[in-house]
Order: sequence, then structure tokens, then C-alpha cells
Amino acid sequence: MKKLPLEGVRIADLTMMWAGPYATRILAEMGAEVIKIESPRAWDNIRTLIPQPDAPEPWNSSFYFNYYNRDKKSLTLDLAQERGRQVFLSLVAHCDVVIENYRADVLDKLRLGYEVLRAARPDIILVSMAGFGKTGPERDNVGFGPIIEQMAGMTSLTGYGGPESEPTKTGISYGDPVAGIAAVGAVALGLIQRRKTGAGCFIDLAQRETMAAMIGEAFVAQSLRSEGPLHYGNRSPRFAPQGVYQMQGEEQWIAVSVRSDDEWRALATTIGAGDLAGLRFAERLARHDEIDGRISGWAASQLPREAMETLQAAGVPAGRVLDTKEIHDDPNLVARGYWVRLPHPRMHSWRQPASAWRLVEANPQLRRHAPLFGEHNREILGGLLRLPDEEIAALEAAGIIADAPVNPGVG
Amino acid sequence: MDDSQLSLAGVRVLEIGGGIAAAYATRWMAGFGADVVRSEGADGELTGDEEVYLVAGKRRVAADSAELRRLALAADIVVEDQAPGALAATAMGPLDLRAERPALVVVSLTPFGQTGPYAGYKATNIVAHAMGGIMSLTGAADRPPLVNGGSQAFYLAGLNGFSAALTAYFGALVHGEGDWLDISAQECAAGMTELYAPRTEYMDLPAGLRSGNHISAVWGIYPLADGFGGVCALARQIPAFFRVVGDPDLQEERFADPMQRLANDDELRARLYAWFATKTKRDLLELGPAHKVPFGAVMTPADLLANESLAERHFFDEIATAGRPPAPVLPREGGEGRGEGRVRAPGRPFLGLPWRGGDLHEPGADTEAVRRDWLGGLA
Repeated sequence: MKKLPLEGVRIADLTMMWAGPYATRILAEMGAEVIKIESPRAWDNIRTLIPQPDAPEPWNSSFYFNYYNRDKKSLTLDLAQERGRQVFLSLVAHCDVVIENYRADVLDKLRLGYEVLRAARPDIILVSMAGFGKTGPERDNVGFGPIIEQMAGMTSLTGYGGPESEPTKTGISYGDPVAGIAAVGAVALGLIQRRKTGAGCFIDLAQRETMAAMIGEAFVAQSLRSEGPLHYGNRSPRFAPQGVYQMQGEEQWIAVSVRSDDEWRALATTIGAGDLAGLRFAERLARHDEIDGRISGWAASQLPREAMETLQAAGVPAGRVLDTKEIHDDPNLVARGYWVRLPHPRMHSWRQPASAWRLVEANPQLRRHAPLFGEHNREILGGLLRLPDEEIAALEAAGIIADAPVNPGVG
Repeated sequence: MDDSQLSLAGVRVLEIGGGIAAAYATRWMAGFGADVVRSEGADGELTGDEEVYLVAGKRRVAADSAELRRLALAADIVVEDQAPGALAATAMGPLDLRAERPALVVVSLTPFGQTGPYAGYKATNIVAHAMGGIMSLTGAADRPPLVNGGSQAFYLAGLNGFSAALTAYFGALVHGEGDWLDISAQECAAGMTELYAPRTEYMDLPAGLRSGNHISAVWGIYPLADGFGGVCALARQIPAFFRVVGDPDLQEERFADPMQRLANDDELRARLYAWFATKTKRDLLELGPAHKVPFGAVMTPADLLANESLAERHFFDEIATAGRPPAPVLPREGGEGRGEGRVRAPGRPFLGLPWRGGDLHEPGADTEAVRRDWLGGLA
């Protein structure tokens, strides 16, 4: 069987919440051995963010946690205790990469900064993912994805348009996964660099910066022509008509976008607006309200999937606005085998996404559910680090390792 | 700095097609030292502003399909965003290229993937975004789903393309074999809906829908005295947040207790609207780190171009536009007559590895030089 690209790479994963764990989920999908390290006193909040009043071990059965932490191993270790810190450093000696998304000052406060890690493993690659980076006057700002999105300019560009238009946040904490995906590239780049030079590196990734890079052309417009954000809603300055239209059924919508006169003729014919089929781009832009009315009138009586297929067959770019239920039954995703089920000892069967990175030949597969809290303590401490049983027992007695969080409440 | 010190020095990358997805995937590769050669796609695929941002630092060639095939076989990484099957139609099928050059990494970026019933579907950004799930969650509950600003479906595919390409390239260095990566914008988005799709699926609940600018009173955006800003406070940060607000009523159990707070969300939100209205962006950005409360301000590109932190971190590149400043998609009043000189746009995405900015070349300007460097001068 063909090897995955990161087989043989071991990663010490100190990340929590979403940005970092999303990165390490992808790294694990690509074959890396990812060891997730949580303290019994400061575990990944995602385990307990959603209340599960009836669950006996809610920290092990969170759908939210499981979604983003599969294919990883769990080691509990209290890094605030000196012995826990020493054990961590002995683990680092066996790792290629350390990755963390603490607040900017935390790793140094734990006395685990880059120079300390490098003393344990001279060619270690450290990837830090603080919201605003490790340097600069805003390094101490605290932020989650929606804050990152605001602070990166993204939110300023999104809005319904019109005189009362307000900047609008993305419906998810968009800054998190964007930083996570970029962090995987940073890890790969660090590995490539190390292979070439033999030296590790310290990568300081600011989540705000990877988010701002997703709207680069807005900075060009601002710096070149002093053009600030303009809310187009669902319309476009390039394509007309373009919009989102309500279909038959509750909360059923379709996005339609016309790039050319030919596509417009096809759309106009399909929706029974042949009288407008000769309109050119500038006219369509000028008469957008009227055209929207015609499309909406047609759409209201159409079923969304059938309408999408009809429009696409006519050569018109159109797609359903898939919601979080329908997306699991989308024929394209289903046909591509995107949704898979992973058995879990504490959870019922459910569908999770496969890797979005389809290596056609190596064909990455999900291997294992997210780890139970401290599930791999003995494997890592006794196996990889060769700690004797009595020392592992002493760590447990001191609360440095555990198989359940201390005082788990709602995160 | 000597360019040979760049992480990707000596790595050859061929970009084919050149829409946002492929161009963004290769942009950071150029900055980290790869020799990125761009073969142009259809006219007008990128706006002028996108071209400046995404093509700077690359060499640009005009090549027919036979020459393009030879360039692909001389490359380490090929990134393309043409329609499925388009490469194969010009004798450049990814698996055929890989058979000839096993170490080659080919990354194909499309809206819906190389296979499946929608593989041939046409998509602009909004169509691809709609099919990825995030759009259903964005916007107000009483209004239609809202597309993000910019071209996020394609940028997201490009970002995945960058990281996936380098991961596969590292695998090729170690294991000796590359791969063909079939990456779809739909799948990139469908697996990153935060807790919403997993909650719907695992708990068998109705679909999660739009909540506008507020998930709850303590997780949302509010009007400020000089714009907009917000707070995203987890349970552990709420005591500090309420102390900053200074309203003694917020110490009451109905706001302090997580479940009661949700039941009283409307009242809490009204109180917070009043408090935020008295604050400026600067106020919030000073209060946040001082009290370890996750405050943010809705910053514009102009704000960020003047931001001290980004300046200290050397985030922006300056790009020369070859004396050909880009025209806006739709001219705006008062916006014309500018555009000479250098552009500032996001550059190095993270610190720690050397980076080089680059300027914008004319289409086809580097054809002869690339022939010489990659093909030994043979046309």
C-alpha cells in the first residue's frame, strides 16, 4: 500500500478549541502520529463545551470534540507541574513537530519556549498559532475565530448591502479553520526546510494574518484607489444576475450566478423570461431588481434539487444552499464517499467527513475515533518513553496524568 | 538575503488554469522561494486587483499544450483548476504525467471534484459557497443566506491546495513518490462547519440556521460609537467581561448562571447594546488584553494597512504593477485617477522562514526564460 505523506512524522499537539485541532486533524489524516496533550486541570474546552447532562463521561462523548480530534492519541500531562513538564520535554525528544495555539504568552510562562524545546530536540519544528502572533503590540489580544475575522478585515466586507448594511460575521468561527489549514502548510514547509538544511525552526503564525490573506484583493483596492469595503449582498459587480432565491419548501434556497450573455439567455428561457433574454450585462445590472423578481417568481414553485439540475443542464451556474442536514445527503458528496462512520465506544454511529485532501493513489482513510481522555497514557509513557510502571503510578498519584478531567464543568 | 536560503528554492511549480484557487495555492509557494510558472487561463478569470495580489512573484508563460506538457514533466508540483478532464483532453492527464514522472505532485482544484454527479457543474464563487454548507449559517434569520465578502469558496480551495501540495511534496521527498490530489471546494467547506453539521447529524436535530451577528449576547457583534465591534466570551471569560461592563445587575444569578443567562439572553443583549454604543474600537482593543476578554473591532483594509502590529510583523508586501495599474471591476466615484506606484497587499503568512516579495510580470513575459531554465532552451 502506498504510504501517506506524513507517515513517520510524530507531532506533539498542545492545541485546543478549533484552529489548532483542525490543523492536527489534517496532519493525522495525512499519516502523522499526533499525540494530543491535555492537562487533567486544563483540558481541551471543546470536550465539555456542549452540556451533556445525562452522559456518564461527557468529556469522552462530545460530538464537537470527536469531529475535530479523530485519528489522534491522547496523553494527559499537567505541564504546570515540573515533573509533567520534564516528561513533556522527554516526549519532545521523540517528536518532529510541536504545535500549539495558546494565548501568545502561555508557552513561555510554562517555560516551554522554542529554545527550551530545542534543547530537548535540536531540530524540532515549533508552530505557534496565537491569534495575533507572538510579536507586535497586539500580541496580548485574546481572540477566537469571530474576533479574528473582525480584526482581519473579513467581516467588514460581508453584508446585505444598501444604506443600512451592517458588517456581518460568517456563520462559523471562520478564522479558526483557515488558520488551521495554513498551519498544516507551515508544518510541511518546516519539514521540507529541515530535510534540506537539517535545522528546525520556530514558525509564528498569527491567525489574524492568515485570515487577512483570504481577502488580498481588498487591500489592493484600498492601497491603490482608496476603495473601502462595499457590501454587495449576494450580488456581484462582475456577474449579473446573481443572487439567492427562495424555492418551494421551508428554508430552501438556490444560488444563481450568470457570467455571460449565453448563460443569461439560458436562464431567461428556463424561467420563462424570454422577453428579457436579449439584455446585455450593463442592462442586467441596471435592471437587477426586476430580474430578481422574475427569478424569484419562478423559483417559488420549484423544488431546489430539481431546479439546480435543470439550470445546470441548461449551462447556468446554480447550486442549492445546502444546510447542515441536507449536506449529509447531497448526491455529490455521497457518491464521492465523503461521509463515513467511525465506531466509537461511547457514542452511537454517525456520519463524519472524510479527508478533503483526496490523494488519489495513497487514498487516506479515517482510522480511528477521537481518543478518550488519557487513553494512550500507558502506550506513550511506558512504550515510547519507557517509564517504569511505578513512575507512571507516581505521576497518576500526583495528578500529573489522569483518565478523567478534574472538576469537569461546562467549558 | 540569498534566494538559495528560501525553503522552496529550487522547487519548480507549474500553475495551469490560473483562477483564484490555483493562483492562491501557488502564491505562498512563490514567496517561500519556489519558481512558480503560471500558464494563463481564460481571459478575465481574475480581476485586475486579484491579478496583482495573486500573480505577483510568479513567472508568466504563453505555451501551447505540447510545451505545457513538457513543462509539467519538468516540474515538481503542478497546480491546476481547470474543469475535470480538461488536462486529460490535452494529453496531460494527471495519472499519465505521474506515470512518466513518479515524484510529481499534481493538485487539481475544482468546485465539486473530479468525480461524482456534479463534477461537470459550472460554478462561480457564490454557487460553490452555497454547496459547502457555510452559507446556510451566514446572515440574518429573516433574510436569505448571505455569501461572504471576497471569494471565499475559491480562496478556501486555494489555501487547502497550498498546504496539501506541500504536504504531498514532502511525502515525495521522503518516500520517493508524489500523488494526484483531487480537492473540491465543496468538500473543503463541508467538513468545517464548526459544531453545526456535527450537531445536526449526531443529535438528529433540524438544520442549524442563521443567527445574524449574535450566537448569544456574549458571542456577537454590536454597534460602537465609531463602527462595530464585538465579544466572544467563553464561560471562563464571562466574569471578567461582566466586570469590565460594570453593570452590577450582571452579577445576579440570572446572568451569571450559564443556563439562566441563555434564558435571559434578550435582556442581556439589550444591556450590552447600550454599553457597546458608548465604546470605540480603540476602547475595546485596550480593554481586551488588559482584562483578558476576547474583544474585537471590525477593522477595514484601511485600518489594517495602518496597523502597527502588522507593520512590525512585516505582513504587507509592496508590489510593483509593471506600470499597468489594475482597473476596478466597477469604477467608483472619486476612485479614478489613482493607482500609480506600488501596491500593498498581504505577503508573508507566517514568520520564521525566509520570504521574498515579488512584482507583477506581464502575461507571457517569461516564456523564453522559462524555456531556457526548465527545458534547456528547446521551444
